[in-house]
Amino acid sequence: MRKLVLGVGNPILSDDGVGIHVARALKARNLPGVEVEELPASGLELLDMVLDFDKVVIVDAIQTRGGVPGQIRILEEADFERAVHGSSPHGINIATALAMGRKVVPDRMPKEVVFVAVEAEDLINVSESLSSKVEAALPEIVKRVEKELA
Amino acid sequence: MAGPIINDTTTKTKEKKITIDPITRLEGHGKIAIFLNDQGNVENAYMQIPELRGFERFCMGRHVMELPVLTNRLCGVCPAAHHIASTKTLDAVFDARPTETAIKLRELFYMGQYTHSHIAHFYALAAPDFVLGPSAPASKRNILGVVDAVGVPIGAEVIKHRSHGQKVQEIIGGRATHPVFGLPGGVSKQISPEEQAQLEEMAKSCVGFGKFTIKLFHDLVLGNKDYLDLILNKDAYYLETYYMGMVDKDNKSNFYDGDVRVVDQTGKEVLKFKPDEYLDVISEHVEPWTYMKMPYLKKIGWKGFVTGPQSGIYRVGPLGRINVCTGYTTPLAQAEYEVFKKTMKDLGVTGPVHHTLAFHWARAIEIMHAAERMLELASDKSIMSDDIRGPYGEPKEGVGICEAPRGTLIHHYASDKNGLCTKINMIVATTNNYAAMNTSVVQAAKALIHNGEVSPGLLNKVEMAFRCYDPCNSCGTHALTGAPALEITVKRRNGSVVKTMRNF
Repeated sequence: MRKLVLGVGNPILSDDGVGIHVARALKARNLPGVEVEELPASGLELLDMVLDFDKVVIVDAIQTRGGVPGQIRILEEADFERAVHGSSPHGINIATALAMGRKVVPDRMPKEVVFVAVEAEDLINVSESLSSKVEAALPEIVKRVEKELA
Repeated sequence: MAGPIINDTTTKTKEKKITIDPITRLEGHGKIAIFLNDQGNVENAYMQIPELRGFERFCMGRHVMELPVLTNRLCGVCPAAHHIASTKTLDAVFDARPTETAIKLRELFYMGQYTHSHIAHFYALAAPDFVLGPSAPASKRNILGVVDAVGVPIGAEVIKHRSHGQKVQEIIGGRATHPVFGLPGGVSKQISPEEQAQLEEMAKSCVGFGKFTIKLFHDLVLGNKDYLDLILNKDAYYLETYYMGMVDKDNKSNFYDGDVRVVDQTGKEVLKFKPDEYLDVISEHVEPWTYMKMPYLKKIGWKGFVTGPQSGIYRVGPLGRINVCTGYTTPLAQAEYEVFKKTMKDLGVTGPVHHTLAFHWARAIEIMHAAERMLELASDKSIMSDDIRGPYGEPKEGVGICEAPRGTLIHHYASDKNGLCTKINMIVATTNNYAAMNTSVVQAAKALIHNGEVSPGLLNKVEMAFRCYDPCNSCGTHALTGAPALEITVKRRNGSVVKTMRNF
């Protein structure tokens, strides 16, 4: 079974880079049977990267109303249904890219995609560091991703 | 398949302000606010770009050699354009002379960027309007709807060739999305015979896909009178501006290198400048309601959001490039350029094409040119030479320019004697187009919204006026978020909201 952890984000935009920080931490652990990649872009690039894996865990930043920085949410593709077909019909966001893959190259798509979404605090300031609250949550996030891979 | 839906039913609003926020299908959040007068007609419209803090400060004090990999983080869409502009700037900063092989590899890499970026815009962002129709339900007007309409095999070809563009960049640039190969005077990696064969194979396939794209544009758009009428609609989609773009010594379009040419509203050359002369040509205007600056031609001056020879507003990108050049160096792109010119001439248009939606046709021609140029370079066995790095001197100050898919991209750095960055300035493609984009939004809103009658399709047609520029707000404000999102709000004069539409 081919497994991939995909850290999504911009490593020089504060908490937007949390997925990249998690990916780097996991890469250092050298988990058997798990490939780890960074994706600093959005959209169809993501599709190129997930093809031919059985299971993919995507780690990305999220900002919600009232969310607590560092808080983890586990989401599935179905949770993005509204983002694909609802009020966000145009942008090639992650959900649309995956839906495009399921439509066009279904045989090469992973059977399971799990999103580990981390609540971000700062998505405005250019910095290679995470905010202190997200930084503090990093070990817990890494542990959670490992659990999702099991 | 049913025909595209061009118009939908409007409803009368008593509101005075319409906001489109965030703007769908472009990178970075944007917002359009449309203000209505007491009669429900458009008084004014503003395209606002939000804030991002601290990129220049982030770069100051860094070693200038880091800038090609830092500046390309500005954007998840066109990082390769920043990498190339930055690498060329380092050539100037270090007074370096890149070798012939290095120049070929950089340009070949860059054709991969054009292929991936233009295919993504044409098929994912523009095609929904032309396949499903500008007034089709929003839930269908997206790339998934396009695939439903045109069939899975075509969708698969789109994915395949966009990926080829990425793969070309990965082979040469070290990474598909944020490349790492550019050095002052050259590149860091030699190409193996296996890689050259792979590049050539992908380029051949891209040429075939370019031909397909041109045919699709003819069948879908030019073959449909409703679309032709939309493109030729002078009230909504027509600006007589100056144009800017890079050309070679014969004034043929060149994406990688050359002089920057500026033509006026009649097509007459008014300026031709080298990178280090850009500050003599361009000034930047600031408006209090947005974070993005508005460049204009210094010698003409800023006259507000108006067009014509007295206004320094210019346009860049596919429409800018096709209007400043005398054609393309590759045969199939040149043939389609001639079709473009003849078709417009038959419609009574001589000189530059000022029709804003013609951006899409110019972009299709550039998909063709990028593929052909990619094949020319990939077939050249000399790209495998190990002569990939030329001589370079001590760091000082320099400017580098290339044509990003979205238009002219300028980087300017100064260094101290230790190579640490003491000054950085960038004018990106979307910024160059900002004044024109805002003017296009005002024009389309005024032409399309009357007596308070609005509908989702109508507001989408306002969006079409700037979406064809393929703007990338994250670059424009040096923002890095990269998530497409938009809200449109229509407001009354007193600020109360008539209607809000958003995609997040």
